[in-house]
Amino acid sequence: MESVEEAAGIRAPRRARYIRTILLELERIHSHLLWLGIAGHIIGFDTVLMQSWRMREPVMWAAEKITGNRKTYGQNLIGGVRRDIEKELIPELFPMLDTLEQQWKKVLDAIAGDTTLKARLEGVGILPADKARDLCVVGPTVRGSDIPIDSRVDHPYAAYDELVPRVITFTGCDNWARVLVRMHETFESIRLIREGLKNLPDGPILTQVEETPPPGREGMIVVEAPRGEAIHYVITGSDYRPYRWRVRAPTYQQLQALPSMIQHATVADVPITLGSMDPCFSCTERLEVIDVKTHKVKVYSNEEILNISRRKYGRG
Amino acid sequence: MFRSKIKEAIICLEAGRVTLAYPFAPAFIPKGFRGLPSVDINRCVGCGGCASVCPSSLVEIVDEPDRTTITRYFERCIYCGRCADVCPEMAIEMTERFETATNDIRDLHVVHHIYMATCSRCGRCFSSQTPLDPPDYRSFKGTRLNRLGVEST
Repeated sequence: MESVEEAAGIRAPRRARYIRTILLELERIHSHLLWLGIAGHIIGFDTVLMQSWRMREPVMWAAEKITGNRKTYGQNLIGGVRRDIEKELIPELFPMLDTLEQQWKKVLDAIAGDTTLKARLEGVGILPADKARDLCVVGPTVRGSDIPIDSRVDHPYAAYDELVPRVITFTGCDNWARVLVRMHETFESIRLIREGLKNLPDGPILTQVEETPPPGREGMIVVEAPRGEAIHYVITGSDYRPYRWRVRAPTYQQLQALPSMIQHATVADVPITLGSMDPCFSCTERLEVIDVKTHKVKVYSNEEILNISRRKYGRG
Repeated sequence: MFRSKIKEAIICLEAGRVTLAYPFAPAFIPKGFRGLPSVDINRCVGCGGCASVCPSSLVEIVDEPDRTTITRYFERCIYCGRCADVCPEMAIEMTERFETATNDIRDLHVVHHIYMATCSRCGRCFSSQTPLDPPDYRSFKGTRLNRLGVEST
């Protein structure tokens, strides 16, 4: 959305930018809570899966109350947001954040002294800082290797120029450092939401867009998603349609670091090392089919996948 | 080691029972929830606003001489509610229905026919007062798409 806004030269109103920031941070909180659960599940520590997902549920409910849906918020429009955070809702959100913070502190306190967990995570999946820099790794993975890259600070969007997050880095370079980065980032997100709700400015939430941008304009935005930086690039076209829209999700860069992370590791450490970068394989936008009998590998292109799926659903 | 295990046990015990009785008891639905859109076809004027804003383009509008057929493929719906926002006649409403799983995809297809009258002066279609009110064939000059210079399909 912001890339289109940049292309069209529109700036969303201040209140809309605050609401976007609050929702982005809610998203980050529930993504990190989910990730801790998955990481625990991978190493066979299902208690943390159950407990962090239980803590995540009130966050989802809060998002549902604000936007009307748990996950697909559908909140952003070009020029602002669709739904306002209502005045009655704000007093409900603070207690939710307080309980979450308390519970999350307890979890951090409990797992920080857990030697079983540390034995599985500490010193495993090491990604040294220089290697991470060479491979252009992003997000919490690189912040666990003591490189402070965070596009919320480096290229502020939404209201991050006013609500400045603290970049959390750990020097461990291992899976444990990546766990700590995500856990501490959750506290940071809670702080940002609190500040955002307290300082929520008055005013409109949507600017009227007078004209559609002319074709051929470009816009690009870097967004710090929970997994790392996502880049959206847009060229405007005619008929209210983009001519080109390219998304680069963070997983593809992160995966490049995997071979060096799992070097000399035991097989049992591979899943958690892969999991520690919070991979999203659907974001790597390739489909590779391996024929088991002939060992032939075929990589499908975007066009081929589109044609197959269209044929499957009987359209076109 | 043991201390952290005890702490973990306390976290679990403090939570108590949190499982909701959901399939056996109705789920809590907050105010302003966006569920499956419902269309009050009696209010629809066939303007096609919903079709032009729908992000997943699930609304298909076909103009025929005396009527407009609106087909909605709800299996593609992402429940964003943009159609309900733009509808000038408030004919679309987001319901609280979210249990839309089905064995037959055709259960999610909704077909509406609106009988459209044609303006005797400009030849454009507009929705007639009642479906019983017959369109005036003598003054029929073409469908909206033809008027715009597009060959109708």
